[in-house]
Amino acid sequence: MALDSETHVRSRVPFLGRIRITPMAVFWTLITFILVIPILLFLSVAFSPRLMSQGHQWFTLASFKPVFSGAYGLALLHSLILGVVAALGAMVIALSMAWLVLRTNTPARILWNTTIFALFLAPSYLIALGWQRLFEQRGVLEIMGFYVEPIRNLLYGPVGICLVLMVKGIPFAYLVIANAMRGLGEEFEQAVRVHGGSRFEAFKVMAALLMPSLFSAMAIVFAEAISDFGVANTLSNVGHFSVATYQLYQGINSIPVNFPVSAATSLTLLALVILAILAQNRALRGRSFRTLSGRTRPATQTKLSFFGKISTSTYIVGLLLITLGIPVFGAISASLLQGLGSLLSHYTINFSNYSRVFHSRFLRNPLIYSTEMSLITATLAVGLAAIASKVLTSARNSRSKRFVDFFLLAAVALPGIVFAIGYIFTYNLKFINDIGLHIYGTSFLLALAYTANALPSTSRSLVGNMGQIQESMMDAARVHGSGAAKAWIDVTMPLIARPLLIAWLLTFSGTLLELPVSELLYPPGSPPVAVGIELSLAGFDYGGGTAIEVLSILWALVVVGVAFFLFNRFAPPGWKRLGNLR
Amino acid sequence: MKQKKSDSAYRVEIRGASKSYGSLKALYNFDLTIEPGTFTVLLGPSGSGKSTLIRSIAGIERLDSGAISFGDRVVADNGFHMAPEKRDLAMVFQDYALWPHMTAFENVGYALKRRNLDTTEANRRINEALERVGLSSKGPNYPFQLSGGEQQRVALARAIVGRPSLLLFDEPLSNLDADLRERLRVEIATLTREIGATACYITHDQSEAFALADQIGVLRAGELQQIAAPEEIYRQPANRFVAAFTGISGSFLGTVIESKRHEVIVQLGTQRLECRTPTKLKTGDSVEVLIRPSATSLSHHHSNTLPAIVLDVAYRGRGYEHVVECEFGVISSVFAHESTPRGSKVDIYIDPHNCLAFPSEKKVSETASIAQLSHSK
Repeated sequence: MALDSETHVRSRVPFLGRIRITPMAVFWTLITFILVIPILLFLSVAFSPRLMSQGHQWFTLASFKPVFSGAYGLALLHSLILGVVAALGAMVIALSMAWLVLRTNTPARILWNTTIFALFLAPSYLIALGWQRLFEQRGVLEIMGFYVEPIRNLLYGPVGICLVLMVKGIPFAYLVIANAMRGLGEEFEQAVRVHGGSRFEAFKVMAALLMPSLFSAMAIVFAEAISDFGVANTLSNVGHFSVATYQLYQGINSIPVNFPVSAATSLTLLALVILAILAQNRALRGRSFRTLSGRTRPATQTKLSFFGKISTSTYIVGLLLITLGIPVFGAISASLLQGLGSLLSHYTINFSNYSRVFHSRFLRNPLIYSTEMSLITATLAVGLAAIASKVLTSARNSRSKRFVDFFLLAAVALPGIVFAIGYIFTYNLKFINDIGLHIYGTSFLLALAYTANALPSTSRSLVGNMGQIQESMMDAARVHGSGAAKAWIDVTMPLIARPLLIAWLLTFSGTLLELPVSELLYPPGSPPVAVGIELSLAGFDYGGGTAIEVLSILWALVVVGVAFFLFNRFAPPGWKRLGNLR
Repeated sequence: MKQKKSDSAYRVEIRGASKSYGSLKALYNFDLTIEPGTFTVLLGPSGSGKSTLIRSIAGIERLDSGAISFGDRVVADNGFHMAPEKRDLAMVFQDYALWPHMTAFENVGYALKRRNLDTTEANRRINEALERVGLSSKGPNYPFQLSGGEQQRVALARAIVGRPSLLLFDEPLSNLDADLRERLRVEIATLTREIGATACYITHDQSEAFALADQIGVLRAGELQQIAAPEEIYRQPANRFVAAFTGISGSFLGTVIESKRHEVIVQLGTQRLECRTPTKLKTGDSVEVLIRPSATSLSHHHSNTLPAIVLDVAYRGRGYEHVVECEFGVISSVFAHESTPRGSKVDIYIDPHNCLAFPSEKKVSETASIAQLSHSK
């Protein structure tokens, strides 16, 4: 019988021979080496310096003492305050914008969706640099003859830092609040009114129903703000207003590096993020409002008066200018000014900075290197994220599912700078070198770190789509003659082709302009874009630096455009139809 | 369509199959044989293990223990598991499982890939299969452009196009409305028998089971209660569960006052009722009397009747179905060609051949009646 022969064959094969290289095995190996080990080893040093030969004690809390005093303590306090203010500000602006865009007929609302996605993609350091180029000493506006010193003083301090953090938080808050508002039909408001409630009473009910999304929005913006390294490395650095992430960066650049204190600071930052999420859950305990049902009627649009349209459009355009217009103008104008950053008294507007980028290896190579790294990272991260999201959406609540869920959630909360320090620490350990793993300072390690950094958010972005795929469709492919891999290629991949493409493009763009991991892990002599920009600016080549900045963003947009063009042109019709309206 | 010889159809044999999900035993030491070319329906309520069983036959689920073989070919046996794609079968799913990025033509054609046919022959077979299910003009349509019934027809065409040796049906009609369900049921019965494949069909709907099956297996909590021809299941249910799940109008508790082989007389309060029983009962035994819908009628018989009051009456086209309340509880689906108004006093005739008595743990004194509304649909 077939069974007997099968069993005998199996019993003769030695154990190691039976280990198969499956996608899941590769997935778990990579997850272990790029996510679990670097995070755990680094953070464990906060409690146990001796574990990794960083001190004499097996267990101590002494590493946390400096975190709450002196420069570290002050930086942490600054981060905390900035995070709270940015969260509140972003939430209020996002709420007002969600209402204007979704519930009114204000003409300027058509501009908003593009702005949101542009803000979503733009790293905070690029927004900050745009502002800097305009308002710095001998910056664009001063060259144009404007007196901007009071604004500059505000910009290079808590107000400026908070402004940029808030701007960066708005898209996150908006997406959360707008989604909730879309599901909030007008029947709730009508129910209040027909039962004798005033317009104000109805507003209070609506506000209460939106409360979960408002808390979520604040928690997300707070977490983003205190983890941010882009603003820390630009405005905070120049303005000498310390924040926790920059303090961490300085700590890792000091000699000798005190890894236990860095780990303790990282854990404290992580704890703050987790506390924000817990506070959100606690505030909402027992108040999970299920407002979306098959019977939800879309809310009607408030018809604004002429004055209403003018005032709301002014508000939206003003917001658009502050959030995106000024940084974009700053970057483009600076890139067109020849001699910006020098002590020249005469400046000319031309494309010489761009020309220099194309002709100078120093300026051009970072963009080429980052493009290569982004291609590798996006492909690797999306591949792993597809597997992770499959594990996360499987019907069975297996141990592996809970493990992936926990680590990806924890990694989402982990600031990029902490990730990078974890890599520096782990891949410099003596035993890692002793086993022949000499990958510190290589492009290989940088690609792994980029991938690990991108994996949590990329996985989360695919979970929703993967969860929509009925398992029976894969089962149907299997019982009708396809193996697991072929069934995945024939059925799952086409169904999530568009989300996969979007995830790939988001990861590509994010990696192309990524700062903290690039800053700490780039191989000597091969700076990525973010570091290339910084090196140019450090050398007072503001024109060259901003030209790389503008070209990088344009390059990212070109890649996005070409990818969508190719998809729309060459993907089979069935692939393109999915996700579109009928 | 060319008839497939029934000798190429699989004989499916399941021995000692067990499967648990955590502490929940979905299947327990399950044995079943399906003869080649026959149509077997597995009937059971939610949680009875029928989905687990059919998914294990398909190879989508792995058994914890036990064996499944298709003819001489073992496809699962304690640790050994043959992948679904190697089992040469086809399946129709409850939610259709059509691939939304493929047209109806491509969906059907997918199941032919393993046959490695040339394009002309493959296209011919796909068109033929679509024609068989009445969708010859819908080949270029995507699933979202088809109605629910049309989608399930595409799934049916996908299942038959490769002329598999085994056809599995996982509650394929449960998402459709009553009229469509009936029409598709006929198509399934006809097409399956035409291709001569062994068919295994699961459902919780007894009327569907009786209409389709050569043999019916009734499942409960992962165990097979009875497997037999539909007539036998209906007339001679092995136990109370099988009788109750295959359709009753009401049930009452009583006491046996006279027993003669498979015929008993049961005392129900002041009334006496003649019943059949598949088990041995003796005088004085507490029993539960289950009344089939076909056993009841509003008539002028003088024996084996129960006095009752009409609670409700519903027009059913060919006549009227009454819900009546008697001394011991409620009886539903009492058919008559004429309507009797609500509140009328009537005598309900109970046909002894379709009135079944089973031993009961409960005593008459514990509860006067455990009458319940019919499970019949």
